[in-house]
Amino acid sequence: MNLDQITIAPVFPLWLILLLFSLGFASAIAQYRFIRGRLGHSRALGLSFLRLGAISFLIAFALNPSLVAKKEHKVLPAIAILLDTSQSMGQVEGPTKASRLEEAKALLTEGANPLLKSLSERFEVRLYGVGESLRAIEAKELGDLKAEGMKGNLSEILKELSGKNTLALLLSDGNLNWNGGQSTNLPIVTVPLGSTGEYKDILIKAVKAPSLAFRGREVMIDVTIKSYGYTGLTLPVLLKEGGKLLTAKNTRINASPGEVTASLSFIPDEVGQKNLSISIPQQFGESLVSNNSFNLSVKVVRDKIRILMVSGNPSMNYRFMRTTLKNDPSIDLLSFVILRTPSDILNVPPQELSLIPFPVETLFSKEIKNFDLLIFDNFKYNLYLSPHHLESIREFVRGGGGFAMIGGPNLLNEGRYAMTPIGEILPVRFPEKEDYRRDSQVGVRLSRAGVAHLITRLSSDTAGDAAGDDAQRLSFWKEMPPLDGFNLLEAKSSAIVLLESADGIPWPLLTVSNYGNGRVLTLATDYSWKWYMGMVAKGKGNHAYLRLMDRMVRWLTKDPGLDPVQITLPESTGSAGQEIEIRIKFREEDLSPNLRSMVSFSVLNPDGIKIESRLKPTGQSGEYLGSFLPQKGGIYKLKVETSAGNLEESIVVAGLLDSLDAAPDHEQLKKISASTGGKFLPRSEGLLKEVEDFGRKGESRFIEEKWSSVWASPFGEDWGQVLQSYN
Amino acid sequence: MKFLLSMTTSSFKRCSRRDFLSLGLGLAAGCFFSGPKSLLSASFPHFFFAQLKYRGGEWDPNPQFTEAIIEELELRTSIDGMKERRVTTLSDPDLFFYPFLYMAGKYEFDPFTPQERETLRRFLSYGGFLFAEDTMGAKGFGFDQAFRREMKQLFPDHELRRLASDHSVYQSFYIIGSVGGRQRVNGYLEGITVDNWTPVIYSQNDLSGAWTRDRFGKWINECVPGGEIQRSGAFKLGINIIVYSLTSDYKKDVIHHPFIKRRQSL
Repeated sequence: MNLDQITIAPVFPLWLILLLFSLGFASAIAQYRFIRGRLGHSRALGLSFLRLGAISFLIAFALNPSLVAKKEHKVLPAIAILLDTSQSMGQVEGPTKASRLEEAKALLTEGANPLLKSLSERFEVRLYGVGESLRAIEAKELGDLKAEGMKGNLSEILKELSGKNTLALLLSDGNLNWNGGQSTNLPIVTVPLGSTGEYKDILIKAVKAPSLAFRGREVMIDVTIKSYGYTGLTLPVLLKEGGKLLTAKNTRINASPGEVTASLSFIPDEVGQKNLSISIPQQFGESLVSNNSFNLSVKVVRDKIRILMVSGNPSMNYRFMRTTLKNDPSIDLLSFVILRTPSDILNVPPQELSLIPFPVETLFSKEIKNFDLLIFDNFKYNLYLSPHHLESIREFVRGGGGFAMIGGPNLLNEGRYAMTPIGEILPVRFPEKEDYRRDSQVGVRLSRAGVAHLITRLSSDTAGDAAGDDAQRLSFWKEMPPLDGFNLLEAKSSAIVLLESADGIPWPLLTVSNYGNGRVLTLATDYSWKWYMGMVAKGKGNHAYLRLMDRMVRWLTKDPGLDPVQITLPESTGSAGQEIEIRIKFREEDLSPNLRSMVSFSVLNPDGIKIESRLKPTGQSGEYLGSFLPQKGGIYKLKVETSAGNLEESIVVAGLLDSLDAAPDHEQLKKISASTGGKFLPRSEGLLKEVEDFGRKGESRFIEEKWSSVWASPFGEDWGQVLQSYN
Repeated sequence: MKFLLSMTTSSFKRCSRRDFLSLGLGLAAGCFFSGPKSLLSASFPHFFFAQLKYRGGEWDPNPQFTEAIIEELELRTSIDGMKERRVTTLSDPDLFFYPFLYMAGKYEFDPFTPQERETLRRFLSYGGFLFAEDTMGAKGFGFDQAFRREMKQLFPDHELRRLASDHSVYQSFYIIGSVGGRQRVNGYLEGITVDNWTPVIYSQNDLSGAWTRDRFGKWINECVPGGEIQRSGAFKLGINIIVYSLTSDYKKDVIHHPFIKRRQSL
């Protein structure tokens, strides 16, 4: 025992003890003087010394002298072993035919000196799997570990591990997200996996394509191709819709690794959702094939509705309809009106007329497919069109085009349309005798079907057509001025009559039906313009006529804007395993309680199997949120069913291995270790020793002190024990 | 003169054939149907003049103007017409259903009432068409002043302006280089144009005076100074105005441009 091992631990503050001692000493001297005369000098001195001794004894207790014993401890360094479990670690290569993850497991658990066991003996080892997030795992779980996660973010992971570990050992192929640069006190020793020299792959790294395209306008798609190996090779890049090849482009690989961009273009000729795929054929020796293709979805819409209108003669009906269509910025109208017939007599040389030839052959044989809607307005076809033109019109409608026949004395062309392709597609039959009546005015009324049909659901309520109930819609049409002339037709059984004459026999006036993929409509009057001017005369504006024309056009052209339900797909769909949400919204005017209660949402996966989906209201009127969890990549079909009709959309979900760049990135590992003060250690016999040496740098010690009061063991029976255990 | 003869002869032939066919159909209809269908209703036309009767001045300076122009219209174009005009006023509830409102006069007329102005403004603003002409044969007299006054009241933001030579009305059927009429007061038409539509067209050349025939088929008025060529021009312009009223700016469609340009350059 040394004197430096003894110290005091006062039970009161030291100043208080010294003050008490001073007071005691002073009182002893004062007492001596007080009793010296009575007791004599020697007795008084003796008594005062005794009292001073007692005070000193008490002060000694208060100072609490203690024996201090110190002991130095060594702390085992904590090592975090980070095992990369992202998809690229599942890549199989080399003669062993083992994946990178299997190699990593073998390194940790197999061999003469398994790394995990050896390190556990010298360090405090914690094992983690690094996928999209950090996950602590037990050694016994290693066997079941699979390479299936997304790339982990090492920068985030370091924040979690920093301060708890002295070293991180990262086993990875380098495919990690790392933003570098930030200061960390956790050095990372990286152990590279995978062989950079052996890896050969062609992958579609990125695709830049618009999500929305216009029909008839070129769509550009830029495809960035990354290659490992294959320098000098020329590859075909294919753009397909289903099995149909849209375009292909040869692209030469100039460097390895290197990137090259191929620009593909195509012109969509139909509206709707286009599910496209870009692919590159598999090359010999390629390590990964799944990243040679890329699915994408492009929604093709009309920039404008293209209408071809042919009118039999100048008329009010023609002018009002033409002006209405011309004033709609979403419509591109090409109209022809027959200003003179072959029987009309010329009184001037042709060059003094502004008339142009009617390009029948060009329009009805070649260009017809470029239109969405064809309108014949009181047009006597037999003077201009031949049977093959009528055949062409039928094919146009069968293929999805719209066709409207507007009435008048020439509507049925004196019965000549009967037994022709036009007669076949029209929703009405031809009368045997009288086919046009202009002898008296006739009112118009909504049919039962017309009350609910999108074309005729008009209401005078300025709040919108939805605001009106059926009775209001019926009275609205009653208010329309009567027509001065109409055609006497019979609706086919497959047709729907929306408007009919209100007086006497209910002749169908507005009749619609489907033909093939197209839609057809007959408006059996050349006096619909009276619905315009008649309402203007009543001071009610022209909106009824404009909306009727607008809806006729949009219904005939299947304009998505007329669908009662609108689906909004997410801008970015993510990939398999990530929940996808879509918004379902009802048009304001179709928000009847009945409709809202009848909505259902279902999802079919790429195999056509219905998967679990959810539908819940968003809290906003008429809006729902549908969601589902795709388990794999591919095209998912979404179906919304309502009592007003069904709507289907499709959505492309990227697969986990799509665009996967699985090439080992050992340079990334070098950067990680260098920037964290760690080390890049390729696998070798000396790996364990290197890690141990590095780990020891992180060793630390601490000294533990134990205090023992002298008064607790006044005779020293415990002192030896204390000093022995702590020295 | 030869041209005029051929025109009237053709008109006669045409009318005779039509009348004959109409008569035959009417008789046939009468035999087979006992309904109220009449001869007139069976051939009810697309086009007719609705002449505006106003207070003051002289609202009907050329009472027989329709026959010749309607004949010509039917002969040259695919438009069917009715020779009988309708006389209307600005308080007529059927005004809005008249495709072509015609207004003529020589002298100053009484101002329209506010209600009449509002009706006419609504009619013209929502698709109606008015062809007005000063038949005086000289500038700045009563009708001209009164008409301009009313137009200023109706369209304070749109002036009555000379229609440019490439206006659709000069190209709607004939390509017209010079404007005809009974008197050649102006070498142009005037109009009020709103957006791409000219709902009001105004002439001071007395076109209807050039169209007017007596019951024996003779022209009532001489056309000065151009004579029959000027009358022919009046018919052409009349047809163009009617076609314009039924087709709007159809001739401004892009597809017509190269044809019209080529013919104008001939």
